[in-house]
Amino acid sequence: MSDTARYLVSRLVTTLLIVLGAMLLLFTLSAIVPGDPATALLGPQATPEYARRFIVEMGLDQPWYRRLPTFLGHVLTGNLGIDVLSGRPVAGIVGAVIPYTFILTFASIGLAVVIGVPLGCYAATHRGSALDHALAFISVAFIAIPSFVIAIFLLLIFSIWLDWLPVLGAGQPGDWLDQAKRLILPMTALSVGWIGFIARLMRSSMLEVMGENYIRTARAYGLPNRMVTYKYALKNACIPTIAVLGMGIGRLLGGAVLVEIVFARPGLGRLIFDAIATRNFPVLQGAVLVVVVIFVVTNLLVDLSYSAIDPRIRRDAAPQAAGQ
Amino acid sequence: MQNDLELSVSRRAFVAGSVAVTASPLLGAMPALAQAKTSVAVRIERDITVLDPAFRGGPHDANVIRCVYQRLIKQKDGSVETELDAAADLKQVSPTLIEFTLKPGQMFTDGFGEMTAEDVKFSFERFAVAPVDGKISPYKGDWTGLAGVEVTGTYTGKINLSQPNAGLLAIAIADASGCIVSKKAVMARGVEHNTKPVGSGPYQVVSVEKQRGAVLKRNPTYSGAKPTFEEIKVNFIQDPKTAELALRSGELDFAVLPPAIAEPMRSAQGIVVDQSPGLAYVWLGINMEKAPFTDLRVRQAVRLALDVDQMLLAGFNGKAPRLNTLVMQPILGAWTEAPVYKRNVAEAKKLLAEAGQSAIKTRITILNQPAYQTMALVAQALLKEVGITAELDVQEGGTYWDAGKGEAGKNLDLFMMRFNGKLDPNFLMQWFVSSQIGTWNWQRFNSPEFDRLYQEAIVESDPAKRAATVIKAQQEMDKSAAFVWLTNDVAFAVRRASVKPAYLPGALDWQLDRFTSA
Repeated sequence: MSDTARYLVSRLVTTLLIVLGAMLLLFTLSAIVPGDPATALLGPQATPEYARRFIVEMGLDQPWYRRLPTFLGHVLTGNLGIDVLSGRPVAGIVGAVIPYTFILTFASIGLAVVIGVPLGCYAATHRGSALDHALAFISVAFIAIPSFVIAIFLLLIFSIWLDWLPVLGAGQPGDWLDQAKRLILPMTALSVGWIGFIARLMRSSMLEVMGENYIRTARAYGLPNRMVTYKYALKNACIPTIAVLGMGIGRLLGGAVLVEIVFARPGLGRLIFDAIATRNFPVLQGAVLVVVVIFVVTNLLVDLSYSAIDPRIRRDAAPQAAGQ
Repeated sequence: MQNDLELSVSRRAFVAGSVAVTASPLLGAMPALAQAKTSVAVRIERDITVLDPAFRGGPHDANVIRCVYQRLIKQKDGSVETELDAAADLKQVSPTLIEFTLKPGQMFTDGFGEMTAEDVKFSFERFAVAPVDGKISPYKGDWTGLAGVEVTGTYTGKINLSQPNAGLLAIAIADASGCIVSKKAVMARGVEHNTKPVGSGPYQVVSVEKQRGAVLKRNPTYSGAKPTFEEIKVNFIQDPKTAELALRSGELDFAVLPPAIAEPMRSAQGIVVDQSPGLAYVWLGINMEKAPFTDLRVRQAVRLALDVDQMLLAGFNGKAPRLNTLVMQPILGAWTEAPVYKRNVAEAKKLLAEAGQSAIKTRITILNQPAYQTMALVAQALLKEVGITAELDVQEGGTYWDAGKGEAGKNLDLFMMRFNGKLDPNFLMQWFVSSQIGTWNWQRFNSPEFDRLYQEAIVESDPAKRAATVIKAQQEMDKSAAFVWLTNDVAFAVRRASVKPAYLPGALDWQLDRFTSA
């Protein structure tokens, strides 16, 4: 087995352990959290015998350490459980909202990169200028303002005042134009904080790289400033940003809940939020598992992408993996 | 070193892809199109769960259910009075026998055939006496006293009761628990029937999507009056602020919103805000089994220490009407002469002194909603003046709704509670019988006299006598001093001026099939 393959296997094992750890944590927390699921889900109308049956159907009559292996066993066969309330498979429920979450997450991160990276580069190459100071102020403001506040303002401006964009939902299934229109505002609301963050990160990273010897050497050889900045410096300055993007995608997958609520969009974050509020444990377990898997896989891919960008990481990582 | 991890996508391609993904939505930027009035969009605040009447998730499901299925009888437009629906005739032959005759030719959708008395029998009995696959309906209580439905012909049958049930028509037969399902469809579709219901009502369900809501289309085979709108979009919108913006932008036509959101909308162009008394009841309850509230004088002192009007001013901007008893107008048995308790600090202190209490420390358990938090803060300050120090225990829904149940309920002190009501006094009274202690009777109000009056009211078919019984039951509650009634809430139905909604008093139960263009 090559060093790199060994590295890959070790990362996959780590990934699996993270998933198991997350599920262990979820099941133990579910057991601790107060509140009767039957009451939360069924309300006062439910008869005691219906509530009892409900608890049994959810498997909550069993202790968590028995439910966890059963759940994982089912997961291996592709069964995430059944939403006892509606009788629908959890996999189907999660599968129905995942596309909306993916679209929102990747579009938001994409927008943040497209705007944040150039801003950061510009600020670094024009350090100390008025524009650099202005960008610093704007970036910090973007980071500080919560996304749901931006969401409300965007709605007020673009939906109510200007009447350009719709308020509600994710659009009609199959109608791409409608879906695209309804993506603009939530995508913007979610990406604003990341734009500021990426811009700041990019700026500091660029400044660090610009001070490296090889950049000075390149300049000494008389290479054009533009080439030095955008061909040699930018390439290496991007690495921390890519690392952050991996975390960002993971965070947004389950963390876009407030924006999803404000725009009444379907999504994994909202699904998890509702499941916690109503103590709908089968849906909660299935949705959290999917988020955790996507999170660790995304980060694995991001890690692997470093090596494509910077060969030094490839060289360093393999012996380290072999040493383990 | 050999590069085993060569990526097939270059950085440049990745960046180009990101730009494309990000920019693509912008291509679609254009003004939102105005909604055609063949369609009406309404907001529900909870996601649709189950559209099978026997296992519905709550009023949000019931509002869809009532326009997808027919009932033997149904309420008239915005009224508590009923009219025939699927039944050509319905007769209360005796207190324990109701006879019905169905209209012929009422077809279920999706090719499930004509509605017969067999379907009625199946629909009603599955609630209480013949559960399908052992599944007991959470709404079993609506059919209290049902012994069975006897089919006497294709379209005729008898509803037999083991004991009279005066509220059966209002609570069960004319409401969501009286919806007639297709026996064939329920058996054939199984759990799929929860989201692909088969009815014979004015609308049929086109789609139900998690976190989005439902789309309903006019049922072409419906034999009754044709509804105005071809399509109803039932949108699940959790955040009332989003609902407000959607109403303002014209994407939504109707929503019931909290006062703080609805009030400022009165001045919005194209928006109409209809305010009406609610049918919910909100009160501050006192656990009678927890010392020092075991002493009647302490409970009376709490009642006199509080200023309900002040609390309502804080919690509802003074927009919610004061409630002085359990049963409010227009429900049978409304106790209009109920005492209106005024704040009396001196009397409260005197009662506490008589009870030997000078420095009570207590806790008010409330749901984490702004109105309750504000009212509880006022209550805290008012109680302080008579020497009762109350801390606030604010809980989220999942925990709160469990706070008064089982053993935990014994430790509850004071709490604020809100229940949705229906147009029948026994529906309102059912939570306060002694058998509900440990379940929903968080006051642990244990009155054999109240229990007796509750049972008497169920079986009493004479409205005047029943009303008198219900009033006596409320007097029992009043004597206990375990209830400080606050309000029956207020319903703000907000709509686009182009739509005229229809709903029953309280605006909880909508009549979607009767929405019209204004």
